[in-house]
Amino acid sequence: MKRVYRLAGDVQVRKESWGLLFYSRDRHRLFFVRSGGWLYPHHFDGRWDTASLISDIAGRTGSPAGVVEKSILNLAGNLVENGVITHELC
Amino acid sequence: MNYAEWPLSAPVNLTWEVTHRCNLRCVHCLSASQDEMADELGLAESRAIVDQLAGMGVFEINFGGGEPLLKGHFLPLLDYIHGKGIVTCISTNGTVLNNEAIARFTGNPLVHVQISLDGATPEVNDRLRGEGTYRRILKGLERLAGRGISLSINTVVTALNFDQLDELEALAASYGARLRVSRFRPSGRAKASWDKLRLSAAQLEVLSDWLGERPGVLTGDSFFSISGEGRRGLGLDMCGAGRLTCCLDPIGSVYPCAFLQEDEFCAGDLRKATFREIWESSPVFLKFRRLEPASCRTCPRFDFCRGGCPAVARFVRKDIGSPDPECLKAVAGGHGRRSGVNDAIIGGG
Repeated sequence: MKRVYRLAGDVQVRKESWGLLFYSRDRHRLFFVRSGGWLYPHHFDGRWDTASLISDIAGRTGSPAGVVEKSILNLAGNLVENGVITHELC
Repeated sequence: MNYAEWPLSAPVNLTWEVTHRCNLRCVHCLSASQDEMADELGLAESRAIVDQLAGMGVFEINFGGGEPLLKGHFLPLLDYIHGKGIVTCISTNGTVLNNEAIARFTGNPLVHVQISLDGATPEVNDRLRGEGTYRRILKGLERLAGRGISLSINTVVTALNFDQLDELEALAASYGARLRVSRFRPSGRAKASWDKLRLSAAQLEVLSDWLGERPGVLTGDSFFSISGEGRRGLGLDMCGAGRLTCCLDPIGSVYPCAFLQEDEFCAGDLRKATFREIWESSPVFLKFRRLEPASCRTCPRFDFCRGGCPAVARFVRKDIGSPDPECLKAVAGGHGRRSGVNDAIIGGG
């Protein structure tokens, strides 16, 4: 089973120089994620599973896959917990 | 949050005063609205501005004025904005709602409607918003309630209505709406009534406690934090002018915020420059992003409020770079505590 991430229904995101800015329409709330050049909004379009996401980041940045995996799983868990993104098994 | 470390490529939200025409003459109107300005933006120009905002990733547009529903092209403009996926918050006096507008709002997830009401009784509200307005505003609320519209009552807190906040919260709830309390600021017609209507230091402290116990009540920036989390400590929230938000007036002039629509604070003209050029390069915006009253830097709350509201400081102390005169720590000797969560809440409109 693969896990893919998708923006929550009321959430939009845009890229900033320091990372990603998430905006929740229903809660009028912002989430600042200092992810630098690792993540882009398209990573949350529901087409990236965890493995391809980690591979993409590691390939582009040269960061060790293990480090990327740990960081991304932590971050994704936090965003899921806060209702910013959802994860789906596919 | 230190904005220098989190610069934004575009505002999160923008206040757009589509017209200065208004059918009411509220004594505290922030933009002294009355008549339409000469040469207000047309629909084609407005759409072109929306294209720019959408291209930059602006999330939300808050409409005020003037009464936006009196602008002839307002609803077509709203449709265009929603077509771009941008969220809108429509601040209206609720007295000129028509079926077409209500149909646009009904069940629309991209619409928040905010009805201005400044008292829980006609005696109080009508002193601020005009004779007979309480009854007309409530009729507007009745027309909007129960239609799946995200609805709030917005109350500018003054010495007149300060004692009615509980009743206003209950009134909002009776329409399935939330209460938003906005800060009374000395701009527009409110300059003339500032001394009479502003809250005393003691009232500000009571308001702080009241809000602290009501996480469901909304506020706005450079006021008490909109979030229950943020209200765990005494104090104001930070100002987003020129950083998170800005204001567009009916003729395309851009300002850091709606409360500073004066020539010296005009950051640019969208008939002469692009929004991106103004946002990124305007000396006015660059100045606002650096505003940090030196005397506040040793305050334990500095990272949360950064000096508070420049508009109030400017009116009271004649200096936008001076500390907010309504800083609770200053007026009440509070200690200012707040959690340091790494998120922010936006207070539109």
